[in-house]
Amino acid sequence: MTKNFLVDKGNIYTYTDLLIAISADNQYFPYYQTHNLFDFFVNLVKALSSSKDIVLLDADMNPSEFYALDGDIDFSKKMPAYTTPFSSLSELVDNLRNSSSRLTIFTSGTTGQPKKVVHNLGTLTRSVRIGEKYINNIWAYAYNPTHMAGLQVFFQAFENVNMLVNVFNQPRKDVYTQIERYGITHISATPTFYRLLLPLEKTFPSVQRITLGGEKSDAHLCEILRQIFPLSKINNVYASTEAGSLFAAKGDCFQFPEKMQDKFKVVDDELLIHRSLLGESANFQFDGDYYHSGDLIDWVDKEKGLFRFRSRKNELINVGGYKVNPSEVEGALLRIEGVQQALVYGKSNSVLGNILCADVKLEQGSNLSELDIRKSLLGQLQDFKVPRRIKFVETLSLTHTGKLRRV
Amino acid sequence: MKEKVLSIINQIRAAKGLEAIPTLNLSDSLRDDLGFTSFDLAELTVRIEDEFDIDIFEDGLVNTVGEICAKLSK
Repeated sequence: MTKNFLVDKGNIYTYTDLLIAISADNQYFPYYQTHNLFDFFVNLVKALSSSKDIVLLDADMNPSEFYALDGDIDFSKKMPAYTTPFSSLSELVDNLRNSSSRLTIFTSGTTGQPKKVVHNLGTLTRSVRIGEKYINNIWAYAYNPTHMAGLQVFFQAFENVNMLVNVFNQPRKDVYTQIERYGITHISATPTFYRLLLPLEKTFPSVQRITLGGEKSDAHLCEILRQIFPLSKINNVYASTEAGSLFAAKGDCFQFPEKMQDKFKVVDDELLIHRSLLGESANFQFDGDYYHSGDLIDWVDKEKGLFRFRSRKNELINVGGYKVNPSEVEGALLRIEGVQQALVYGKSNSVLGNILCADVKLEQGSNLSELDIRKSLLGQLQDFKVPRRIKFVETLSLTHTGKLRRV
Repeated sequence: MKEKVLSIINQIRAAKGLEAIPTLNLSDSLRDDLGFTSFDLAELTVRIEDEFDIDIFEDGLVNTVGEICAKLSK
């Protein structure tokens, strides 16, 4: 009997369906944008199992967000993937494990436009565990598949031939229905995703493991999750677009793995990561062999390497697990006719951690409304980068160096 | 107060390209009936806080329109 591979929007796809879809055509798309998760995975697995390079683009990315990166991108371009078709699922999985593909994803960067980071499969699958005890895992898929965390969950599930159930951006009741219907055992998601599952109304004993990542977690949330999923172990992970998965938490603290002690340094409370753990990007700035992560930590036990994350050093704003670069959004606002000045900032929020806000000064005579501006931004930026509250102001305050002052 | 909540909800729906709802239905679920995502709920908290100075989600999430009105009329 073939195992189920993916459940998405009521459709069930088996691993045989995946193999058949891959075998149907030996060509793949190096640049591919789709809202269909199965099609996305078919193209991804086809490329990786054939050791071909691929660029992952979010389904809602706008041309202006990536045209600046690579010049013209031809979405219709297809390239040959494999020469001999895969004879079995295990061949497909083995080939992916040993793939020499280079995979490009995007990060918010610290200035201007999104930046490319190129990874090999080694960095991406560093934390994948394979073995007997994992073969019956059933995963809730709660991330964007083109982002680091979504890739981590995908590889963990795929390499163990597990089923994935897509719950990303689904209403609470649908998430719970699917947990019960498919007997989901593992959920990996952002604290924002879990906050939407609150409050406790019923318990779900099938879930064995709850993983939180992407933004700061809180003790209150974990306490309620423990009640909703009474048989689960709860842990936190730290992964980044630049370096992939690096360490898991001990309780609410993180610890440097013993084998990788020399790969990390802490300077002025900032976490520095050795270049050997990173993907490649022209935009990484190194201090010797170390990369400044921009994440500030507090030591809990320095001897044992135990710490907590405090905040970000640079200006990136973490909105529900997505990192937004305010200057990119300001650039988009200024491209709208009628906008004279713009300031984008995060405001602390009980649902998303931070919510994106903007202060905008209009040109004289302009009668742009908040809705006009948001609609126009949606044509330029991904949804999570669009400010949710826009205030119209007469003046924006400047710092003594003449920069706009963030609040 | 209810009119203001209705206009805030419709403002958020408009930005998503959804049609306005004519009246507030207290049993409507924010997520299931009104189609609000986490980003929409975050926007709702900010707009309600601007207007009423209350963070409706501070002590756990509210599910329905009725629960918002209850918090605001305390």
